[in-house]
Amino acid sequence: MKKVLAITLGIVTSVGGFLEIGSVTTAVQAGAAFGYQLLWAILLGTACLVFLVEMSGRFSAVSRHTIVDATRERFGFPFFAIVMVGVVLVFFMVLVAELGGIGLSLQILTGIGFPWWAVPVSFVVWFLMWKGTFGLIENGASILGLVTISFVVAAVKLNPDWGAAAHGLLPGMPGTDKAKYGFLAVSILGASISPHLMYFYSSGAIEDEWDKSYIPVNRFIATLGMTFGGVLSMAALVAAALTFQPNGVEVDTFEQSALLMTTALPKWGFFLFAASMLFTCLGAALETSLAIAYFFAQGFGWSWSEDLTPSKNARFCFVYTIIILLAAVPLLMGIDPIKVTLMSMALTAATLPLAVAPFLFLMNDPIYLGEHRNGWISNTVVAITILISFVLALIAIPLQILGG
Amino acid sequence: MDLVRDVMDQKLLDREDCEMGRVDGLVMEVGEHSQPRITHIQIGGTTPWMRLHPAFARLSARLAQMWGPKRKEPVRIPWSRVMTVGRDIKLDVRVRETGAIDWEIWIARHIIERIPGGGHVEEG
Amino acid sequence: MEINVELLLGTKVCDIDGEDVGRIEELRVERDGQSCLVEAYFIGASAVIQRLSAWTLVRPIRGILSTRRLYSAYQVPWQDMDLSDPRHPRLRIAKRDLRHAK
Repeated sequence: MKKVLAITLGIVTSVGGFLEIGSVTTAVQAGAAFGYQLLWAILLGTACLVFLVEMSGRFSAVSRHTIVDATRERFGFPFFAIVMVGVVLVFFMVLVAELGGIGLSLQILTGIGFPWWAVPVSFVVWFLMWKGTFGLIENGASILGLVTISFVVAAVKLNPDWGAAAHGLLPGMPGTDKAKYGFLAVSILGASISPHLMYFYSSGAIEDEWDKSYIPVNRFIATLGMTFGGVLSMAALVAAALTFQPNGVEVDTFEQSALLMTTALPKWGFFLFAASMLFTCLGAALETSLAIAYFFAQGFGWSWSEDLTPSKNARFCFVYTIIILLAAVPLLMGIDPIKVTLMSMALTAATLPLAVAPFLFLMNDPIYLGEHRNGWISNTVVAITILISFVLALIAIPLQILGG
Repeated sequence: MDLVRDVMDQKLLDREDCEMGRVDGLVMEVGEHSQPRITHIQIGGTTPWMRLHPAFARLSARLAQMWGPKRKEPVRIPWSRVMTVGRDIKLDVRVRETGAIDWEIWIARHIIERIPGGGHVEEG
Repeated sequence: MEINVELLLGTKVCDIDGEDVGRIEELRVERDGQSCLVEAYFIGASAVIQRLSAWTLVRPIRGILSTRRLYSAYQVPWQDMDLSDPRHPRLRIAKRDLRHAK
């Protein structure tokens, strides 16, 4: 029973990673601008993530070490320090974006501007981490995140052309606005293949005390969890394609995105969108804050666990406290969270090789994994993902400038 | 045993399995004609930053003087205290007696304990 | 004399004739009771493979690396390494007398 309930780790990882302000914003923009043509990017991101997350879980279950532990141990402190700089920069921006996402959701619900929500939202996120346990965060975020199933309901109610949507699962090039198309494709992939998901999932497997007996369950959880997120992200794109594209609406603001489900669900669509963004951004904010604190604690060998009283893992708690405090500052200054989101996705894409490339070595390490090392299929997927990550790293910033 | 693969950057645990940090450095005694031997494990201080560049080590030393437990030198554990070298390295010491978690205790006492719900650090 | 091992790693090594041999990437040690004695130094780019425990990845293409001279790792016994100047380690023998690491 405990193993079946472990699915919540998969769902919370997927909800926090796939269905947060970055991925929903880009999916809606993609649907509004290009119809179904970018569904392939979500499919590709989902497929890569299923494998990477499964590997993260398998690594931790077998070796009883996290990915961060192993990155430091195998590659040494100098390489770890380079990754640390990238992680701090990117994860911090993602956290600002997610706290901003919660603020924007509250803004459209209450009419009170998001800067006013910066402090209360940051406090709530911090408080949940300070007093809560890993189980509470994991299960709470999973359950609340299920409201996002409304995206699928809305998409289905709009009667999409399933044939045309299936066609969108294959990569193609648009007739016009290639730079914007490229930028959105990169953003979707950058929003999907996020390193913080792998660090969070790997740490979560240790928090949940997984061992080798969880290997089959882990495969199931990674597949189902990430597919769940991918399907919901695709539903957002399809709903946007049917709501905005026929009217030639370019979605530039969060308020416009909020109309995503009002055609399909006139009575509840607006509130369901706001609630979905509120809960998923909350999950993502918790996940990102934890990922940053896990990264420092594991990399430097401090004691860490969400289940311990703060005084028993003081440095771990100090890191997430400081980072949440600092993340509130740009929002208090009124910096647009959507702009931060777009920049964070481009930077995630640009720094992806640092997180993904070590995987190829770690997942083939006989000392950590023994007989549970990668087979040729997993190695091929990692190699392809590394290739994609290098391509993304090269083109992300230029496309941000040209098409963003 | 390979030093870099099996020892360097590995996690350290004390005899009660408490985290002590990581192997940030190793001290080797070299003689004119004698076989070199590893004498100490080094934890923290400027040791890891020195591996990047001396400028980072100097910055780390300056920050350590301004704030925290004001410890100048890294913690040195004699190699003779190493019990096992496996996934982690277990040492025959008690972590509080080594100074390896001085920062942890300082942050707990000066910051964490002062926030409601932070709990208390055990004495000794 | 005390040397910090972590600062020795990556330093260039020359042989007795001043010819470049490579960089120190790994140290093989032997635990003897409460002591830890250095047996050998591994020098060369592919000693990194040993350090990364990446032989399962590299073994299939090791033949290609050897023929293209990309694969080189030397195992230097402790007696043949002069560390009187840790920033400029030197061998006490010539490069041609070195043994390739297995």
